[in-house]
Amino acid sequence: MSDQPTAAERFLNGILPENPVYRQLLGMCPTLAVTNGMKPAITMAGATAFVLIMSNIIVSLIRGLLKPHLRILVFTLTIATFVTIADRFLAAYMYDMSKQLGPYVPLIIVNCLIISRAEICASKQSLGTAVADAVGMSLGFALALASIATVREILGSGTWFGINVLGTGWPAWGIMVLPPGAFLTLGLLLGGAEWFGKRRSSRAQTG
Amino acid sequence: METVSSLILIFIGAALINNFVLHYFVGICPFLGVSRKIETAFGMGLAVTFVITIASILSWAFTYYILRPGAPLPVWVWQVMGGAEGATVDLSVLSYIMYIFVIASSVQFVEMYVRKFQPKLYTSFGVFLPLITTNCAILFACLEIMKHLQDPTRLWGLHEALALAIGGGIGFTIAISLMAGIREELDLADVPAALKGAGIALIVAGIMAMAFMGFTGVDRGVEQALAALIGR
Amino acid sequence: MPENMPEKKSYIGQAWLVIVLAFCFGGALAFVQTTLGPKIAENKRNETYSVIPTLVPGAATDRTEELVVEGADGRDVRVYKAFSVTGEHLGWVLPARGQGFADVIEVLIGQDAGLETITGMYVLAQKETPGLGDFIRGEDFQSRFAGRPAQPPLEVVKTEPVEANQILALTGATISSESVTTIVNTAVANLRDVLATHSGSHAPE
Repeated sequence: MSDQPTAAERFLNGILPENPVYRQLLGMCPTLAVTNGMKPAITMAGATAFVLIMSNIIVSLIRGLLKPHLRILVFTLTIATFVTIADRFLAAYMYDMSKQLGPYVPLIIVNCLIISRAEICASKQSLGTAVADAVGMSLGFALALASIATVREILGSGTWFGINVLGTGWPAWGIMVLPPGAFLTLGLLLGGAEWFGKRRSSRAQTG
Repeated sequence: METVSSLILIFIGAALINNFVLHYFVGICPFLGVSRKIETAFGMGLAVTFVITIASILSWAFTYYILRPGAPLPVWVWQVMGGAEGATVDLSVLSYIMYIFVIASSVQFVEMYVRKFQPKLYTSFGVFLPLITTNCAILFACLEIMKHLQDPTRLWGLHEALALAIGGGIGFTIAISLMAGIREELDLADVPAALKGAGIALIVAGIMAMAFMGFTGVDRGVEQALAALIGR
Repeated sequence: MPENMPEKKSYIGQAWLVIVLAFCFGGALAFVQTTLGPKIAENKRNETYSVIPTLVPGAATDRTEELVVEGADGRDVRVYKAFSVTGEHLGWVLPARGQGFADVIEVLIGQDAGLETITGMYVLAQKETPGLGDFIRGEDFQSRFAGRPAQPPLEVVKTEPVEANQILALTGATISSESVTTIVNTAVANLRDVLATHSGSHAPE
């Protein structure tokens, strides 16, 4: 068991080195759908964080009782329950945001990120490590969503978190808040992340 | 006749105008992952359409009879157990759990079918067939159907749910096949190293999404054309 | 047969965790539903009810009545009857929906008690082009409907309106403006006769 990553390693891993969106390419659907503004992006990141952390806690607590061929069933049941709770909570206390996010909150259930963390980490490691993993991944996910949402919102509506930052002279690039803008932004940012990663690793090799 | 025209509108809406992949961003993972060759992509599209159809029939039935506010079956059970007359039972909090299990079962069923009757296709799919369970498109179709079963004055029947589901599946197939065709050509092009793979695929998807935006307003025109046809 | 017996036992033996979890999660969801359900229902109600005083000036939200009536096209519609604080019937609020340029547009239409004037219009949901068509949900466009006659049907013009039943279109969004106007006209005409039979000040106690 000593060759398993520690809690600190899990935590730091999830933020940049194994960033859910930029490295693992998981959770694309909400990444593209809710990043047309910072507010929905952060709300979605918060909801995903809640589900991921709670799911990792539960799975880690019962990891000794899981039968191999029923474990996906257990994961799915847990995740679906917490997504329902998150969705209801949003509908009760942030109704307008809930309507704006629409069907993308329940789609957290099929966000491969959560099931993969349950499978890779929570079902095999202790509670503390599982929580650290979940928090790290959630931060990484939030970072990814925020970076895309910043680009799309500023270029697309001239605002950030709803506050006007570019002045009234900026002709808003409407396409950025529409689907094509989402794909283009993510594609270019992915390319940027790849390029930085390659430069770093080639520097490390030559240095 | 009006029903047929509304079915056509729902179908075209789901397939082209509000394409599941290029407008609603669902089904991106297989869209990026399985779109290298046209044959596999087309096969995946058809498998997804098959699963969406089964899953939407089941989820429509469950939602209509059990899960929606005021559904007949729980009200009957409640009254049999001695509950008050005229009570409405709302089991919709169980919807998401119900849908994901319906989807998982549908995928299992399709997997068994494909393994028995199309073994070559089964081996070429590999791990991607059970991964259809995590395909957002299917859950999205179920959620859309649930959305249209909330208002008691305007409930969707099974035919409308099927029109949406099959339209969505066909739209997904169109999108993924187009992407595969483009990517087969891209393999021979000089793509910058940082963009190879997912990066360039997403940029291509963005351009495709722009092209599909040209379908905006088509449903208006189709609606008017159909209305003129019926009125005749 | 000895082979079958242990297998049967192990099905339950293996599934006991899933069953226990199902009960626990079911209980948790039931708890969530009972605590948050009423809040959510109130939010949904408020979506419509909070707009009623703007659509029918002077209306008191807590005296509004809901009715399900059958329109001339044979379909049921849930309408809202607006009363003042003193119980006087002030007007109606009609929900309506129809095809816009990009997708379905949902609106609320305010009418006076005599069904002769349109007192207001509010866009509930739309997916029109951002920066062009989606200005239909702005105060500027919505105020163009206030005080219009219910008959003859409203029409959209691109120059300054001269007749009382003319609405100025949004620049660059003629189709969106026309769609909203068609939705309003259709709903008003559809429900005119049936609402006239339900008029009258008999405010709930």
